[in-house]
Amino acid sequence: MTTAAHLEEWTGENVSLAEIEKAMAELRRESCEDTEGPDLRTSVMTHIAWVPPEWHKAAWATLEGMAERHPSRAIVLVPGAADEDDDLDALVQVAAFALPGERRHVAAEIVELRLGGRRARSPASLVMPLLISGLPVFCRWRGRLPFGERELEELTGIADRLVIDSREWEDPAADYTRLAEFFERVAVSDITWRRTLPWRVALAHDWPEVGRCTELAVDGPSADAHLLAGWLRSRLDRDLRLRVEPADEVEAVAVNGRELEKPPAEPLSSSTLLSAELETFGRDRVYEAAVTAARRE
Amino acid sequence: MATTQENPLLEGLPLAQTPEPCALVVFGASGDLTRRKIFPALYALALRRLLPQSFAVLGAARSEWSDDEFRGNMEAAVREFGRDEFRQEVWDGLAEATSYRALDFADDEAEDELTRYLEHVDEERGTEGNRVYYLAVPPAAMPTLVKELGKRRSAQGWTRLIIEKPFGHDQASARELNDLIWRHFTEEEVFRIDHYLGKETVQNMAALRFANGIFEPIWNRQFIDHVQITVAESIGIEGRADYYEKAGAIRDIFQNHMLQLVALTAMEPPSDFTADSVRNEKVKVLKSIHTPGPKHVVRGEYGRGYVEGIEVPGYREEPRVDPNSMTETYVAAKLFVDNWRWADTPFYVRTGKRLPRRETNIAIQFKRAPHPPFAEAAAEELRPNLLTIHVQPDEGVSLAIAAKVPGLGVKLRTVHMDFVYGGAFQVEMPEAYERLILDAMRGDATLFTRADEVDEQWAIIDAIVAAWKRDRPAFPNYAAGTWGPPSADDLLRRDGRSWRHH
Repeated sequence: MTTAAHLEEWTGENVSLAEIEKAMAELRRESCEDTEGPDLRTSVMTHIAWVPPEWHKAAWATLEGMAERHPSRAIVLVPGAADEDDDLDALVQVAAFALPGERRHVAAEIVELRLGGRRARSPASLVMPLLISGLPVFCRWRGRLPFGERELEELTGIADRLVIDSREWEDPAADYTRLAEFFERVAVSDITWRRTLPWRVALAHDWPEVGRCTELAVDGPSADAHLLAGWLRSRLDRDLRLRVEPADEVEAVAVNGRELEKPPAEPLSSSTLLSAELETFGRDRVYEAAVTAARRE
Repeated sequence: MATTQENPLLEGLPLAQTPEPCALVVFGASGDLTRRKIFPALYALALRRLLPQSFAVLGAARSEWSDDEFRGNMEAAVREFGRDEFRQEVWDGLAEATSYRALDFADDEAEDELTRYLEHVDEERGTEGNRVYYLAVPPAAMPTLVKELGKRRSAQGWTRLIIEKPFGHDQASARELNDLIWRHFTEEEVFRIDHYLGKETVQNMAALRFANGIFEPIWNRQFIDHVQITVAESIGIEGRADYYEKAGAIRDIFQNHMLQLVALTAMEPPSDFTADSVRNEKVKVLKSIHTPGPKHVVRGEYGRGYVEGIEVPGYREEPRVDPNSMTETYVAAKLFVDNWRWADTPFYVRTGKRLPRRETNIAIQFKRAPHPPFAEAAAEELRPNLLTIHVQPDEGVSLAIAAKVPGLGVKLRTVHMDFVYGGAFQVEMPEAYERLILDAMRGDATLFTRADEVDEQWAIIDAIVAAWKRDRPAFPNYAAGTWGPPSADDLLRRDGRSWRHH
């Protein structure tokens, strides 16, 4: 992670969007004063993050590692409790990062909005005025998706891509069916799917033996195990049993009782994993088929 | 690697892109290119798991090194020149696949032994008789090596030949070399490297032109006043006098990199991005380049001067350079592409050593707005729109446009809209050699030069050089650290234009 060359910050309580936009413009101006010439704003997207308070710390740790890789505008939405006042509190940051060989810096903007009371139920009206026009919108949803709730419907309505991490869900296998309902509305990325890549490669290398798989055993998180099983079912077009031995990471995978060689460790930070998903546009049909087949037993 | 039809699990995996098993044989393995480019590129590919699962690399050269010495030298090279953090386990994997054989390319016995060794590698490492021969050898060694390799083609598997520049020294020698190659290999098996084509920003030229609807309609003589292409180096010849004295700027840069940049700028949209479609279009441009008359070509040679505040010697003072050398270190030319799109639109191109800074860019200067409705004074500092593709350094694209200076009244200034590659995509760009070696292993020749391209390039160069034989300019004619001889400025001044200097 690179430290920002300089960082400007503004906070306000119970503010309006106009005040936030004005503060952002002011911070950009201040940021330019610390640089030779204006900071570059080479945004490639708007990145919305829905971050319930219990995910706040983790989300910021990820964002800090992301800013220099995706110098875009991040809008962090922190929903408050329903019985709070309908306040809108904001934190705005403009962070400038040095570019090799360039005198100027590249700027990343983070706008954190704390949505009090009813504001948390209709986030789209707050987000839409802050989107960078003409660029894709990615929505990273922390924690389990609240299926059927208005905030999820609204934000997936404006996002081009929904990014989740199904490891963050308590019972991923149960929720994959509901997740599959989103595929026709918004492209979905799952960070857990990315984490399974080394094992998918290992399984692909096991061809043709893996083609006769009737039972898959995974020592690892439930989400990873179900995605691997769903992937094999959908790609091989056959049913198979899944046995899961819970573990923090995928430690072992066996096909019909035969353990595969463990692929080389690929220690990727949460920022790197999210970053990889933000570079992906369009639908991932292989993933969608894996999710759809994850419950087929 | 099986196809996705044979193995449905490959769909969507990066493995689907991995080349088939093969052995890469690098001839000239003790040379600078292997150290600076080839092995750092192989390491970068290994790190990203883009090399085939069954893979071997064999270095071959005259130096009497053992396997371990070669691996040690290459490890040091990767540590010094690699773009990635050095990871021991990645290197160990690559080193295990690496071996070395000392040999004289002309020695039949040694070549036979090499062939036997490669067969042994096939058995040991599962490389299935597939060979990529990388010919990083001096031009004089090329014919012998091609003949020897041709005689000993692997009975099974495929063979590909990567050939480093220079490819011949004129049209006749290039044709001779092609004829020799075709006696043993098909054109589809030959991958002539021009590493400029592996650069991301050069490939971005195609993306800029053909993936954006706004540029192509104005990419022609109606809207473009002229094009300037600069390939400038601040360094001198870096001890390569033996090569450079024979090549000069015209063969070192102009014949290959410069003409490739002209072709990519001027070519028609290919119907698809396959090797033949792209190269067909480039060849059409090269065929259409009007041979410039002597007064449209300027050559120069640098004298003593200052670069980055340090006094540097003139070309003739460089070690092993003839003190009366007439080798050009600078070439500028005004080229015309004789077709419907570009008729009468000059392409001013220049390349040189010991220029004030290292930069490669393509600048498209558009025609002025036909009738700006502003007072003359308001627009006095206004320049025409300029689209600049920065190939190196600071890779990106910038567009100069007119904007109103804030305040009462109307005053206009030129401002730049910049797209800096490193700003929008915060990922390290792959080195050209990574892309090219991988493409050759996959059999994708899109970014390599086809025989007819080389032929057309040499036809242009031969015509220029033939005219040079008739006069003897007073060299040196520009000081190191300046933008070339004054006559290069005259080349544009005559047309009421000037070179971009920043």
